[in-house]
Amino acid sequence: MIGAVFLETLKTTWKQMVYWGIGLSAMGLLVVIMVPLFNMQDMQKLLESFPPVILAMIGVGKDLEVFATNEGFVAIGFFGKSALIFAVYPVVMGMRITANEEDNGTMDVLLSLPVERARVVIEKFLAYGVSCVGVVILIYLGLHIGVILGGVELDALRLAEVTFYLIPLMVFIMAATMLIAVLARRRMVALGIVTAFVIASYMLQTIGLAAEGTVAEPIGAVSFLTYYNTGDILAQGFIWPHIAGFVILSGVLLLASLYRYERRDIGV
Amino acid sequence: MASESVLEISGLSKTYGAGKMQTLALNRLDLSVHRGEIFGYLGPNGAGKTTTIRLLLDLIRPSSGSARIFGLDTRADSVEIHRRIGFLPGELSLWEGRTGDQIIHYVASVRGDTRGIAKQAGELAEQLDLDTSKRVRDLSSGNKRKLGLVIAMMHSPALLILDEPTGGLDPLVQQTFHEMMDDYRAKGRTVFLSSHVLSEVQAICDRVGILRDGELKAVESVEKITNVEFHWVDVTFRDTLPAGLQQQLESLPSITNISTNGARVRMRMAGDFDPLLRAISSGYVETLHVEEPSLEEIFLAFYSGDEETTI
Repeated sequence: MIGAVFLETLKTTWKQMVYWGIGLSAMGLLVVIMVPLFNMQDMQKLLESFPPVILAMIGVGKDLEVFATNEGFVAIGFFGKSALIFAVYPVVMGMRITANEEDNGTMDVLLSLPVERARVVIEKFLAYGVSCVGVVILIYLGLHIGVILGGVELDALRLAEVTFYLIPLMVFIMAATMLIAVLARRRMVALGIVTAFVIASYMLQTIGLAAEGTVAEPIGAVSFLTYYNTGDILAQGFIWPHIAGFVILSGVLLLASLYRYERRDIGV
Repeated sequence: MASESVLEISGLSKTYGAGKMQTLALNRLDLSVHRGEIFGYLGPNGAGKTTTIRLLLDLIRPSSGSARIFGLDTRADSVEIHRRIGFLPGELSLWEGRTGDQIIHYVASVRGDTRGIAKQAGELAEQLDLDTSKRVRDLSSGNKRKLGLVIAMMHSPALLILDEPTGGLDPLVQQTFHEMMDDYRAKGRTVFLSSHVLSEVQAICDRVGILRDGELKAVESVEKITNVEFHWVDVTFRDTLPAGLQQQLESLPSITNISTNGARVRMRMAGDFDPLLRAISSGYVETLHVEEPSLEEIFLAFYSGDEETTI
């Protein structure tokens, strides 16, 4: 039956989605509540005193004035600082699409049923994609509760844009993880490669930001994290070409995964 | 028994790895299984039984050759084939955090018939004395196996593919399983089961195929294999071996491979027990232990020409 794998995946994932969502939203809530404790003019001076490499590590480029706002504070304190944490959830979900079930043997049972491999992959991908959306919604709710509790003045639209921009980013990370798992076959090998990929992307983004205005700046363009630039989002709102890039790349990664998974042995 | 083939394998080979690491797991397998029969697929561990089954299920892809089930190609028509078969893996893994009922519902919903299948599953669970309300992680290995059998059989498949089905089941449940297989055969359904337990194969199978080092060495009726059956007999006397016992045993045509160790004598015996019992009655027998031969020993006896002397 169409949707059976999708529904079962959601049933077995919703608790993790809620736990992750609550955990991340609690972090966001804490940052939002702290906004009134800071004077944003002092914040700008503080940021200006940091060397570029430190700013780069929290996702800040040269556009310091953007970050010396309430929204900017949240962007640095939560979204910038937590970039690697946001990557963990989609990596965990991406590993579950094929690698975990192959490693523990349940994929043999599932694929002995009247269901195509491609359908299994697509339905699981969609279900985990929905769970990523769920996590992001919970994060937004956490931030919103923080706004209410702390009486903080925040541009609701900008806050929503920065938050929901996480969805294409997380789906892309999940798709990349899935492809790596399909290619690597073994869960631990795949996990090692994915971890290296995410950390390398973070390093490249940091180098790119730290080297703004120099010949090394284009290095950052290689990192997918560069296209989740909270400063740019705060200044311009949704950057549709970047979102489209994430969506298209996710689609390409999904197709590549399907192509390879259809042709290889399972669990060997 | 009708001779229509449910399963036809021709020239099926599978190699793993590449270059110097390449391993031939299955070598040009040709085999037919007929409708309504229970076919035992025998061989020691690593012979290629599971590889064959995984190829039939399209979980792995052949290096060469092909297989057809219900006349359909196992690669091109795998979904249609899977609709009509039930499968129990040798190393069964199920979703640990889910209950038996939840897994049954999941599998039934993938099969597209939750109501009918769930009813049948309930009956099977009752027959196997399985509590499906428990989480898989809380089930013993035997009960997990029972749940695997329920999942494999709950949609009344025309062909059951079972990899070492009774491993971990207690003798009573094994007996129930044998009855279920008899019932399957009576309904004209087909079973392809792998095993390395000779007694199980003897109890339920019509024909057996013997696999060794990835090659099918023989396909025979169970009767024929059974006819070459022999036992290892171990007799321990209270004090010493009775005088002249060894010569007496050596004179019996059904006794070979005699070895002694103090008051103990071990031998290979084919045919009836009576001549042996008469021979050892001259001493005080403390223990008498009879061992079933391994499948490998049966196989060697059968194909080394021993059948002439042992039948």
